[in-house]
Amino acid sequence: MNCETCQELIHDLIDGSISQTDEFTLNTHLKQCLDCDSVRQDLASIVGFCRTQRGQYEAPPNERALWLRIRNVVEAEIPGRAAATAEPRRSFIGRLMGHTWELSLPQLATSVVAIVLLVSLATVVALRRSSGYVTPVTQVAASNENDPVWQRQQQVISYWNQRVELNKVRWSPEMRATFDRNMKTIDEAVANAVEDLKRNPHDEVSEQMLNEALNDKLTLLQDFSDL
Amino acid sequence: MKTGFLTWRPSIRAAVFAVGALLALMSPFSTVQAQQKLSKRYPVAKNVRIELKNVSGTIVVESWNKDEIRLSATIESKKAHVVPRQSDQSLVVDVMSDNRGMGDVGDINFKLQVPVNSSIDLETVRGNIYVSNINSGLVRAHVSSEGDIELTNIAASHVIAQNVIGNIFFDGEFSRGGTYEFKSNKGDITIRIPGNSDFRLVAASPARRIALNDFWNNNFKSQDGRRITGDVGDGRSSVSVTNFNGQITFMRK
Repeated sequence: MNCETCQELIHDLIDGSISQTDEFTLNTHLKQCLDCDSVRQDLASIVGFCRTQRGQYEAPPNERALWLRIRNVVEAEIPGRAAATAEPRRSFIGRLMGHTWELSLPQLATSVVAIVLLVSLATVVALRRSSGYVTPVTQVAASNENDPVWQRQQQVISYWNQRVELNKVRWSPEMRATFDRNMKTIDEAVANAVEDLKRNPHDEVSEQMLNEALNDKLTLLQDFSDL
Repeated sequence: MKTGFLTWRPSIRAAVFAVGALLALMSPFSTVQAQQKLSKRYPVAKNVRIELKNVSGTIVVESWNKDEIRLSATIESKKAHVVPRQSDQSLVVDVMSDNRGMGDVGDINFKLQVPVNSSIDLETVRGNIYVSNINSGLVRAHVSSEGDIELTNIAASHVIAQNVIGNIFFDGEFSRGGTYEFKSNKGDITIRIPGNSDFRLVAASPARRIALNDFWNNNFKSQDGRRITGDVGDGRSSVSVTNFNGQITFMRK
């Protein structure tokens, strides 16, 4: 349980409308979290006081004097705040270095997503610039050559293909035949899906089939490369 | 000097024949003796997880009424290693890792007898997988290349069966909130379930070979017969079936 949920449940606890399960969870959290426990105590004392007084409070003896005291306290705090805000202007680097980089969860998540996007873009650009190993699939699907996702997938497939080729010498003839037979089956599925997509580029079923066939191909290569 | 076989004494000729015949008879047994056999028992909790990653060979898993696993294996090659590892909640057999860099280690055929509530996670590069009478959280059977998969009398909340070439047969029931995934490139997929099953279906077959039989209803959406989506009953579990070349068939128990 997090503190936010806990503090919402504290109200129910004090009102007596909390469920048994929630109460158990809440009490477990309160034993571990001093802040929340302090909130519960404050709230309980306020509600307790209100219940005792039942809406009838004694007026202070000198109401005007009380307000004056409050105003004096508030005014006394203002110069201090003003002084704190009027600190000398610092350079950009100074401000940057002096800044405390505390991010909220959404800010942190956004930053992570931004970094991932940037890295992905950079990878795609790098892959597009590098010369790719041409697999049979790329030859079949000339229409997809400019698709960065397709290219990246082909790079990964070609990497595993090379690893398989290196290890093939150790396999028995039966294992080699099995691999070739299964690779042929998958390549046929890929080729069929690519042909269908050439005829109807927005066909969802063919897209699904192409993706699944390519994933199957990758899995086959990865599993056989371990042999 | 006469040294030909026909010139030998009859008694010596008979002895040579006898030895030859014996050797010829022994040759099949000598192949059997080259195999290793492994049989081990592991006391476990009722809901143990079993992970088996094989390279080649048949895997048979069936339940029994004991809180222990019995693992039997026939290992074709002498150089192959099988080193099961047991922890508190699981038994792991990873033939791939145990024999990495050793090339092809031949067929290893496994038979596992397990508690009925065991979670089963099986992988093999090639070979058939048979699982029967399991009632648990997971039954996964993955064949990287070719091999049939038969899952019989299964009541698991997550079932995954995948191969490239080979048939897939599922006989069992779909649990509320469960997920079921069946996928083959070249082979038939048959799903046999009770008539009152409730599930949400996504079935795809570019060959347009989907037969829902008794489970068909007018709420299904079909994309020219290649993909069919829709609910049977209240759609409480999720079923995905993909077959590139073979037939998809739903049968009522």
